[in-house]
Amino acid sequence: MTVIKKSGPDAGMIATLIAVLKRDLTIAYRRKQDLANPLVFFIIAVSLFPLGVSPDKSFLQEAGAGVVWVAALLATLLSLDGLFKSDFDDGSLEQYVLCPQPLFLVVLGKVIAHWLVTGLPLLLLSPVLGVMMFLSGEQIKVLFVTLLLGTPVLSLLGAIGAALTVGLRSGGVLISLLILPLYIPVLIFGTGTVNAAVSGVSTLGFLSILGAMLALALALSPIATAAALRISMSN
Amino acid sequence: MWSFFHKLGSPRWFYDIGGKWLPWFALAAGILLVTGAVWGLLYAPADYLQGNSYRIIFVHVPAAFLAQSIFMMMAVSGAVGLIWKMKLADMFLKAVAPVGASFTFLALFTGAVWGKPTWGTWWVWDARLTSMLILLFLYFGVMALQAAIEDANVAAKACAVLALVGLVNIPIIKYSVDWWNTLHQPASLKLTEKPTMHPDMLIPLLIMIVGFYCFFAAISIMRTRNEILEREKRTAWVKALVQTGGRNA
Amino acid sequence: MNPKRKQRLIIVLFIVFGCATAIGLVLVALNENINLFYSPTQIAAGEAPVDARIRAGGMVVEGSVKRNSKTLQVDFQITDFAEKVTMSYVGILPDLFAEGQGIVALGRLNADGVFVADEVLAKHDENYMPPEVAEALEKSGKTKDSMSPAPAY
Repeated sequence: MTVIKKSGPDAGMIATLIAVLKRDLTIAYRRKQDLANPLVFFIIAVSLFPLGVSPDKSFLQEAGAGVVWVAALLATLLSLDGLFKSDFDDGSLEQYVLCPQPLFLVVLGKVIAHWLVTGLPLLLLSPVLGVMMFLSGEQIKVLFVTLLLGTPVLSLLGAIGAALTVGLRSGGVLISLLILPLYIPVLIFGTGTVNAAVSGVSTLGFLSILGAMLALALALSPIATAAALRISMSN
Repeated sequence: MWSFFHKLGSPRWFYDIGGKWLPWFALAAGILLVTGAVWGLLYAPADYLQGNSYRIIFVHVPAAFLAQSIFMMMAVSGAVGLIWKMKLADMFLKAVAPVGASFTFLALFTGAVWGKPTWGTWWVWDARLTSMLILLFLYFGVMALQAAIEDANVAAKACAVLALVGLVNIPIIKYSVDWWNTLHQPASLKLTEKPTMHPDMLIPLLIMIVGFYCFFAAISIMRTRNEILEREKRTAWVKALVQTGGRNA
Repeated sequence: MNPKRKQRLIIVLFIVFGCATAIGLVLVALNENINLFYSPTQIAAGEAPVDARIRAGGMVVEGSVKRNSKTLQVDFQITDFAEKVTMSYVGILPDLFAEGQGIVALGRLNADGVFVADEVLAKHDENYMPPEVAEALEKSGKTKDSMSPAPAY
């Protein structure tokens, strides 16, 4: 059984996924500065709110989860421009489109790698920022779970925008315009969960909506991204 | 059936036939809109609760209907353009996006004007209003993407993908009033049930809705024809058309 | 089956599985109250959290509106025809606010079970009719709801 599987095509599929993942992680590791930029942005953006709006503890407690979510969303948005850009510039994207392996898998691998280098660090940093915003332990826990479910959705949806704008000069701003409307529901339910937890209401409903978004995005957004890449490459 | 479908793929055929239909749609839109507006605004009875302010329904509801159906049409024509590589579908998609955005804005604006006297607020962040706002942003996204890509074929395909992705928003708009306890009231007009509206108000509303659709048909034919001329300007038939002074040869 | 087809099949299965999971989770969510909206019955049963910002809605009970003559304070009761909840609000009410009319209020439930609203919005239903018709319906003993399914309060 295992022997057949390893030589069969589905083993090949997993191998493709892992190969893409490994390549992107290696590249990301070699460009440490690019890796750090969204994180630094995340921290600075969050710390603007106490300075710009009010350092009042009760205000920050109420707004904190939303602020962290918005900052995470914007930080992801900033990092999206580079998702396919370097591959496009050096021609490897064209090879991906032409290669016999399904583009669906390549895209999925690239998005997972993107999440590992941007979404995951944001997620790990969020408790620290939560403490900065005077969130309670319970709030921080819920915030962490919502970001765990939400940031992969941000990467998956963002990939569609990145693929649509890959060959364009004005890509960066355009991605925001295309993708932000799609991010709004994720943001609403992400912060809604934390608010529900504060009110002492069951968060199960909210979390399952976030989970549904993740499942749907995982299944469908690579198709849209792959189609968008083919279109952009035909230019 | 199939020959019709193939003909539809030919921009030249659509240019001719659209030119013939256009005056009829425009005429129908003019008559219906004037009738509906005069009937609705002057002769329909006031509402037992809202008084005269409910009359904004005669603009608000048709605009909101169109805002959603135009996006669906864009997604369908986008799919047709992607699958069958039909040029006309691409042109239609490009031509109607700004029209859809305008109707979405109109629906939101009239909704705000209506909301102030009835709910007591211009705007609430409830599910129906938010999802309509997202629809407006999606229209802006399609328009911006269209403008950013120079190659017309690539632009059309990219917009088609975006329109298809944005389609997830449409059922959310439609069912938001049923799923969530929104401030926005549930639909008064349903396909399966009796409308919850008195006939004296319903008939002018239906006239307005049909009038708005005719208006949209006229506008979209006009804009699509323009787009055809722009895109086909190097072909022989367009050159011949220009030489005969725009009259159909 | 050739490998290419098998690959496609696996991807399609993956997509179907993803969609099915999403639908299942949405069904779970629909059974939960994700509105932070509470009816008077739910509030009376103690389901609503105390001192958290929630929404509540219902019909204003006939004859329950008490206005303070000096301030803008208004006290009234709302009902879903099963239970009643007392609300208090300071401010200007929307034009459509009236006894027997549906409202949605945002605010906090205090420890005494009184809903302290900081925003009151009039919700109107999907029924439209001329005043004469409404009057006639009322006279004949039918409520306007008999024209349509009851509003979702």
